[in-house]
Amino acid sequence: MAVAAYGQLNLEESPLWGSRSVDCFEKLEQIGEGTYGQVYMAREKATGEIVALKKIRMDNEKEGFPITAIREIKILKKLQHENVIQLKEIVTSQGPEGDEQGKLDNNKYKGNIYMVFEYMDHDLTGLADRPGLRFTIPQIKCYMKQLLTGLHYCHVNQVLHRDIKGSNLLIDNEGNLKLADFGLARSFSGDHNANLTNRVITLWYRPPELLLGATKYGPAVDMWSVGCIFAELLFGKPILPGKNEPEQLNKIYELCGTPDEVNWPGVSKIPWYGKFKPARPMKRRVREVFRHFDRHALDLLDKMLTLDPSQRICAKDALDAEYFWTDPLPCDPRSLPKYESSHEFQTKKKRQQQRQNEELAKRQKLQHPQQHSRLPPIQQSGQSHSQHWGGPNHQTQPAISAAGHHQYGKPRGPGGQNRYPPGGNPGGGYYQDRGAQGGGYSSGTYPPQGRAPPYPGSGVASSVPRGPSGGYGVPPNYSQSGQYGGSGTGRGSNQMSGNRNQQYGWQQ
Amino acid sequence: MAANFWTSSQYKELLDPEEVDVVHQLDKDRGITLDDFKLVKLHMSNYVARLAQNVKVRQRVVATAVTYMRRVYVRRSMTEYDPRLVAPTCLYLASKAEESTVQARLLVFYIKKLYSDEKYKYEIKDILDMEMKVLEALNYYLVVYHPYRSLSQFLQDAGMSDTTQLTWGLVNDTYKMDLILIHPPHLIALACIYIASVLKDKETTAWFEELRVDMNVVKNIAMEILDFYDSHKSISDERVNAAMSKLAGRC
Repeated sequence: MAVAAYGQLNLEESPLWGSRSVDCFEKLEQIGEGTYGQVYMAREKATGEIVALKKIRMDNEKEGFPITAIREIKILKKLQHENVIQLKEIVTSQGPEGDEQGKLDNNKYKGNIYMVFEYMDHDLTGLADRPGLRFTIPQIKCYMKQLLTGLHYCHVNQVLHRDIKGSNLLIDNEGNLKLADFGLARSFSGDHNANLTNRVITLWYRPPELLLGATKYGPAVDMWSVGCIFAELLFGKPILPGKNEPEQLNKIYELCGTPDEVNWPGVSKIPWYGKFKPARPMKRRVREVFRHFDRHALDLLDKMLTLDPSQRICAKDALDAEYFWTDPLPCDPRSLPKYESSHEFQTKKKRQQQRQNEELAKRQKLQHPQQHSRLPPIQQSGQSHSQHWGGPNHQTQPAISAAGHHQYGKPRGPGGQNRYPPGGNPGGGYYQDRGAQGGGYSSGTYPPQGRAPPYPGSGVASSVPRGPSGGYGVPPNYSQSGQYGGSGTGRGSNQMSGNRNQQYGWQQ
Repeated sequence: MAANFWTSSQYKELLDPEEVDVVHQLDKDRGITLDDFKLVKLHMSNYVARLAQNVKVRQRVVATAVTYMRRVYVRRSMTEYDPRLVAPTCLYLASKAEESTVQARLLVFYIKKLYSDEKYKYEIKDILDMEMKVLEALNYYLVVYHPYRSLSQFLQDAGMSDTTQLTWGLVNDTYKMDLILIHPPHLIALACIYIASVLKDKETTAWFEELRVDMNVVKNIAMEILDFYDSHKSISDERVNAAMSKLAGRC
């Protein structure tokens, strides 16, 4: 047999068949935390090469090797592309490892399995959240181009990623961007006939068709997420930070308008269309809200954030967009600055600290909007960004209810440290493992592994009513704290201020 | 570009018949001959198919499971990896890989129902443990390209849709041999179509010519299949039992 005997290292060669032991690697540092496994930065002892080890935890599995890991491995073995993370090998440990004392219960322990990936220094969210860091326009174009190239490759090969978000886009110090975490990915057939679960994609990046309960869908779901990321890069923060499904849909409607048979033929046949039908139609405001983006960026974004998935731009056409072929052109990845390693797992901690400080300040002053935690990109025009995004003083809303403040000033629950809201896939991080930790609104409805039949209709659009004065054209009565109907009765969903409960300039 | 057969590990790992027909030293020591080796694999392919009928999974899952089993025995001995455990384990793993999950306890239930023989008796824990060993033996390569995918397209194109059932059955039977480890799946599909066209007196010479595939290879595969059918007639239960009895038993 080609494998080394137990307890014996086979450092000489990688066996053609069979897997090596994790002992071939020296763990250096944890760089990510998932619900059922950790991710470590490690060094291969024989070569000195730095890699990332993603643990697939095996205890707790009644049905052997987890099917989610099988999906991920199958897909990763199939995809070989410079913008897709490379699975180098799979290694095993035969028994408990040094850091796992005490887990040995009832002889259930079977050792661990690790997926070995090439090491990447950053993830996009971690990088974007670095205090003081601003991306340049050529840099954003460069990342977007790589993201689209990698995604186009996946789609051509009939793989849907289904969890595109900043923390799953890894960036190395050569400026290369790679798609990672294929734990929710799956193959699709060209005809979109199979029924797929709609409980995928982290809430803020989830497209309207999934929120409306569609079970037949295609690559367009990933393109919506790309649109959200694109806008986020230019805008400086997440554009659609909903706390639960109804609110998410509402935020989408406020930005992209309400869907109807005209702008989205067939939408009324999607399962929950009726349930989430807003009281009154809203107009599409993408071009108005993001009017300060450059023209080509806005054109592309508009096509990505198209409600009707069949009309949404595909990765290939997006790569052909004027945006990527007009000055300033996307830069060469290698020309990008090198940053000290950052992953969301790490920056999250820093941000948490920062946020606590901010809250403290707020409580003391009972006052105005929070600073952007990210800086928007450096504009070529050199205009001050406050003009673009509405700086700290953009809010003309005069009255801020004391109650709102009080609520905002409340200490955050444990969920507050997560960047991503409950209801999506938990946490971000390097090669995140998942399972659904839900929490908050939808916690009860998430079964393990995050794949589930449609959730019961626990929330409807009416749970986020707008105040009577919150109609169109009238300055809505947003307070600093609650974005929805400050005077209404539906504040319940805002009670759990699990996320950055920020002010959004475009919602004025 | 990957994600197609030509860049897959299956293509890169296609083997020569000489590499497949190797009896592991440990097995030789037990007196297992090449014929025995082939018979056991044939018998286990049938075992997988019978189990699959009971737990009701698609033919594709059977094909993948049998391919896994055959891949395992290219590198592993039957002495260390009891085929009576490896076969159901491969079906278990294939059911997950092909998105038709079968619960381990259901599999164990039907194993007991089908075979009262103690030697076949394995519990859930045994299957789960063997699953890890099989995964390792497969080097975690779980994607298998099968002839089925190209079959219906070929048949339609050749104007032979009326022989679909016959051809499909021929393809099923190829899993009783090691063809899937040796030849690209579309050539196996073509060989089956070739046999069907001869049996049903279909004129397909022009169609095959247009394909620009190496007809010698296709005909050779077809001959292998026909040889197998010939020799299959002479296989008796006694011969199978004799081969099975040389196995070590529970591992």
